[in-house]
Amino acid sequence: MKQPLERTQVIALAALFIVITVLAVAFFLGGREESVMPSSSTLKEMAPPPPAAADLQKKKVVLFFASENDSLLHPEEREIEAGPTPAQEAGRVLEELIRGSRVGYISTLPPETKVRQVFFTREGIAYVDFSRELSANQLSGSEAEIATVFAVVNSLTYNYKDVKRVFILIDGIEKDTLDGHISLDKPLFPNYSLVAQQP
Amino acid sequence: MRPGAAALWLALVLGVFSPTIAQGQPVLKVRVRDFSDYSRVALETPQTLTFAFERAGATLRVKVDSRTSLRILGEPVDSRIVKSLNWAKQGNTYILTIEAKVAGFNYNFYTLSNPFQLMIDITPEAAVPSRPAAKPAPPPPAPPVYQPPVVEAPAQAETLPPGAKGIRTIVIDPGHGGLESGANGRFGTLEKEVTLAIALKLKALVERNMAVRVVLTRDKDIDMSLADRGALSNNNDAMLFISIHANGSRRKNSNGSEVYFLSLNAADEDTRRLAYLENNAGELEQKIDRQDADDLQMILWDMAQSAFIKKSGQLAEFIQTELNTLVGTGNRGIKQAPFKVLTEVACPAVLVETAFLSNPEEERKLADPAFQDSVAQAVYRGLLNYIRLYSQE
Repeated sequence: MKQPLERTQVIALAALFIVITVLAVAFFLGGREESVMPSSSTLKEMAPPPPAAADLQKKKVVLFFASENDSLLHPEEREIEAGPTPAQEAGRVLEELIRGSRVGYISTLPPETKVRQVFFTREGIAYVDFSRELSANQLSGSEAEIATVFAVVNSLTYNYKDVKRVFILIDGIEKDTLDGHISLDKPLFPNYSLVAQQP
Repeated sequence: MRPGAAALWLALVLGVFSPTIAQGQPVLKVRVRDFSDYSRVALETPQTLTFAFERAGATLRVKVDSRTSLRILGEPVDSRIVKSLNWAKQGNTYILTIEAKVAGFNYNFYTLSNPFQLMIDITPEAAVPSRPAAKPAPPPPAPPVYQPPVVEAPAQAETLPPGAKGIRTIVIDPGHGGLESGANGRFGTLEKEVTLAIALKLKALVERNMAVRVVLTRDKDIDMSLADRGALSNNNDAMLFISIHANGSRRKNSNGSEVYFLSLNAADEDTRRLAYLENNAGELEQKIDRQDADDLQMILWDMAQSAFIKKSGQLAEFIQTELNTLVGTGNRGIKQAPFKVLTEVACPAVLVETAFLSNPEEERKLADPAFQDSVAQAVYRGLLNYIRLYSQE
């Protein structure tokens, strides 16, 4: 007695399900056709630029390194991938600075250092957040510390004209100094008198 | 075309283009202004310059190194103290010869940034500002002949009346300490040990020869934050602060001594910002939000600091001169940088980088008590010259 009843129920449920599905599909498809479908011209405007073109964008930047010959910073030109935002690009500038010179200058940042984040404020301050190695593996001494700090600051202010000052953070927080000398508790202006010659 | 017309054309073309060519060069503006008892020679350029001084009789030579060639823009000199300004050029080095009307003069200098300005103040020795501005304008009659920095035995210093008006407490800061050992040499010499040894010698020397109190920020191997060093100095009402360090570099060849004082390259911009905040806040406390109020505090502190810059530069120069003659290390000159410890101190303050621990030859010297003695001696003599200059005030 029970089985036929159940079969009827199953068939009724299945029928209901199909009806609901069909209605739902019709509703959504219809809705999209009515209101959301953009015109062909709007579609073109909204489309992102083809990725291949963005990959090809390169930018020449100038990095600052120390030298075996004097106590100055020496400019070295290099091509990096451009954009998409100035801050993201500036992150790559700093990564190149950590990677070191290709022409025999001395890198002033410990090679283990990571760039955690870079952002630019409208007031012309670049906040640069480095991993703790920048401070923990810093070679002690004023000359070494001045070279590290101003290689970072000069490399950013030189390549980004909107950046007037640079605030160096370590692991996301403000630090007094890297190793007891140069004050990091305020954004720093560049010091081009440390630079050997104009690139 | 007639030759006359051609010449006219040429003149026109040159007339149009030559200023354009000249404008490509950065301009170095020079002016002289008289103040009550000194004259100020001011150099101004859009770029930072490095410079050095050379003194000979009634002339002071300023060697200015520039990355590019400069266009010098002067004006006629009309001064009670400065007789003439003359420029010479060697490559990208420009030499300004300042000739004073009197042989005996002292000079001070300081710099500002954005744009870069070098201020050189020339004070005749006769013009001790005891009777301010009451003197008639004509040139002072036969002032005492300038005596170059006299190197004399410290024993003679006892005849000085030091501390009579100015200096009562001097704070000496041996760099680093405790877990923070600072720079270290290849043979195991630690910066914290060298700086303490020199500071203790310097303290003994000053206390033996001058009537001033000396406070050390640390007299043993302990950790001390830079803020605490500044607080200790300020709580002791220090009149002078001298931090002793040994340098370290990634390059082994770095050598020599240098004396730092604070650079406040934010001064100009902050002054403008301060003026803005003051002018735009009717009810100061209600209108300025917390962040701006904090900024205001910082700016006021910076401006207080900048009042000491000139004196700090003078002290740095006196010490550097003595290090060169006495210690025999390479002359790296006096320099400005935003050293944290110097920003914490409310008085003229310098930081002495005695020599390089990263240089094996200098490491050996720094570990040698005889060398430490001569460094202490040099700093002491620089200090003595500074006190002589300012005890007249």
